[in-house]
Amino acid sequence: MRMLCDWARLQRWLTKVCSLCLLLLLPGLSTAVGQTISETRAPRILVLYPYDERIAATTVAGEAVRKRLLDATGGKIDLFSEFLDLSRFPEAEHVDRMGKFLAEKYAVRQPDVVIALGEQSANFIAKHRASLAKDARLVVAGFNRSTALRMNLPADVTGVFTEFNILKTAELARRLQPDARHLFVIGGSSEFDRWWLEAAKTDLTSFSKNYDTTYLENLTIEELAARAAAFPRDSIVLMLTIFKDRSGRNFIPRDAVKQIAANANAPIYGPYPTYLDYGIVGGNVVTFESLGTTVAELALDVLHGKPVEHAQAPLVDMVDARQLKRWGLSDKYLPPGTVQMFRQPSLLEDHWIDVSVAVFVVALQSVVITILLLERRRRLKAEIQSRHRLLEVIHLNQSATAGALSASIAHELNQPLGAIRSNAEAASIVLRSPFPDLKLIEQILVDIRDDDQRAHDIISRMRGLLKKRREIDWQVFDLNELTSTAIKILQGEAVRRGIVVSSSRAEDPLPIRADRLHVQQVILNIAINAMDSMGVAGTNKNISLETRLTKDAKAELSISDSGDGIPEDKLATIFEPFYTTKAAGTGLGLSIARTIAETYGGRILASNRCGGGAVFRLVLPLARSDHP
Amino acid sequence: MNPIIHIVDDDLSFRIALGRLLSASGYGVALYASGEELLARLPGIEHGCILLDLDMPGLSGLALQEKLSTMAPLLPIVFLTGHGDIKAGVQAMKAGADDFLEKPATADILLETIDKSLRRADIRQEEFARTNASRARLSNLTPREFEVLRLLVRGKLNKQIAHALGTSERTIKAHRHNLMEKIGARSLAEAVSIAERLGLVDLVEEGDAS
Repeated sequence: MRMLCDWARLQRWLTKVCSLCLLLLLPGLSTAVGQTISETRAPRILVLYPYDERIAATTVAGEAVRKRLLDATGGKIDLFSEFLDLSRFPEAEHVDRMGKFLAEKYAVRQPDVVIALGEQSANFIAKHRASLAKDARLVVAGFNRSTALRMNLPADVTGVFTEFNILKTAELARRLQPDARHLFVIGGSSEFDRWWLEAAKTDLTSFSKNYDTTYLENLTIEELAARAAAFPRDSIVLMLTIFKDRSGRNFIPRDAVKQIAANANAPIYGPYPTYLDYGIVGGNVVTFESLGTTVAELALDVLHGKPVEHAQAPLVDMVDARQLKRWGLSDKYLPPGTVQMFRQPSLLEDHWIDVSVAVFVVALQSVVITILLLERRRRLKAEIQSRHRLLEVIHLNQSATAGALSASIAHELNQPLGAIRSNAEAASIVLRSPFPDLKLIEQILVDIRDDDQRAHDIISRMRGLLKKRREIDWQVFDLNELTSTAIKILQGEAVRRGIVVSSSRAEDPLPIRADRLHVQQVILNIAINAMDSMGVAGTNKNISLETRLTKDAKAELSISDSGDGIPEDKLATIFEPFYTTKAAGTGLGLSIARTIAETYGGRILASNRCGGGAVFRLVLPLARSDHP
Repeated sequence: MNPIIHIVDDDLSFRIALGRLLSASGYGVALYASGEELLARLPGIEHGCILLDLDMPGLSGLALQEKLSTMAPLLPIVFLTGHGDIKAGVQAMKAGADDFLEKPATADILLETIDKSLRRADIRQEEFARTNASRARLSNLTPREFEVLRLLVRGKLNKQIAHALGTSERTIKAHRHNLMEKIGARSLAEAVSIAERLGLVDLVEEGDAS
């Protein structure tokens, strides 16, 4: 936004500066005009157009003249335009009538300068000068010097002549096609066409030495088109004029160009701006606009009383962007200042402010998006890290639990191992007897197998406690089953401490989706906590684990004990990390239990029982059933 | 009468396996899932040895031992435990356990321990029987004869006894003859040893002090 404001300010500033310059210049200009024309009135300039106002040359060149004159005088000028319409009314009567009419029209407003555009206008004013503008200076334009000589114009007439230079067009072609090896120059069969070809041969003498050069003349338009279709691709084709072909047919040259260019196999160049849009790539041409500007400059000089000479309309390189594209020619080879016509203006050129704003906004958005993405990535990374830490802590807690239970587990394990040993020894004694009881031996072996399985199950549960998780192992399992497993693990410890473990389970399965080991860890943490709360002495020590389906369809496991209960003022803080009442406690067990519960979308609650002791409730959402 | 090994263990499989081993080794075996079960059948249990698990739901091994010390003091108890906890071991031995074994004990150690405790039990049993017999005989004495014996084992002479009891020496001689016959002692030394076994020596000392 700030950038936009700056732009707007800059533009306003530039406009001010320009107006200021104009104001400073104006007094000097008006003084100069005043000296030659009059102290009081604006100079009068009459522009004569040979045809009607719809002709391209008229519109473009005439407008350039008007614009330049108005700009240079700050509008302090009287401009008159007359359209002689001599193409549709070429009769001498019309010309005379027009002469008389204009003479009367301008009787009181005699022009100071008359600008005649085109050959016919020049002839007209030369003829009617005395009656129409006897004191006016004449400026003619729109034809070449040789035409002017032929017209025999008065000596004080100043002309802006248009000269064509085929060499410059050829040079433009060479820049665009540095690899070209052939040169074709096409001319027609009229007198002018032949003269043009001869002139071109002279102008191109040295240029054509570098090429395999062919001059195509005295051919019919069909023959020319056929030849053009067979030009090698690496050819430069220069098109002069074809007013007439060998068969005597007359042409408007650009229509002839169009026919030939349509099927040509190589790019065609020409020295006339009128050829553009008729299939040529371009050329070194006089534009109507530059002609108009030059004429206006000359008229201004005349007004200011400066000594004037004939002028030459500037030639510019002009190309048709569509043709460049057609022939695959790169515009980077174009000479500086080359005018590209018919170029699809890029979005940037047409709406640079909109585009800048859009680009800026998009860039800003990209930056914001990038920042957000980076932020998101950072957060994801942090989340993964924190999850890894959590898994680490849970693992440590599991290991600690396993350590605390190891004596009980060893005892649990010793039962089947002791039974296996006794059975084996009994078997060997039985076998040594004179009449071994083979039925007994068989029963012993079955029992040994069963005890081995039992030992294996205990080790599996133990291993589960020691298993390290790198990622959460999501599974759907029944909370009832998991509670039974946890009770098996706790049983030995409970017996050792003289604690009775009772349980009751919900009738229906309670499927939950979580990591089994983590939920088991919650149960162990709470249960061991409950055992610790009951101390050493005391009778009727018991823990009860109950699973049920809550009213709001969640799985609940409650673990109640007959211990001392939780001091009322501590109920709120027991789940905080490092809260402990035990000398050897880490204060992490319940905090880890709560973290695990929350990780799986559940929660954990603690309260005291009416009859003494505490009750912990683990509530977890039910896993969505596949068949609702 | 064949000694019976009473196995008390809450673990069925272990109980059965141990029973098989001992049975194969020639012992009579009785199995109990808990201390309460054993106590319920106690009146019929006299001869043999108790193999007792330490940690059991309900009555623990040590609690059962305490009850048995009054209810069946002569039955030897061998503890068989999953965790050899020194504290529990010392407590059990102090309370009169015969031995304290860790599970899983090898058959050799187990059988040797059982044998030893059964032998010791036999000796205790004999001693107990003797004492009981002596005590029974002692109960046949008349109060006068009991008084005479009390003073006799303190080393008093007939004359001194007669003086202490305010009677004649001849009467004391007759009492002495009768009581020696009743307790089955052929000499004074034998009578002293019986009195000692029955805890009468202390009484003698006491009386002496008074």
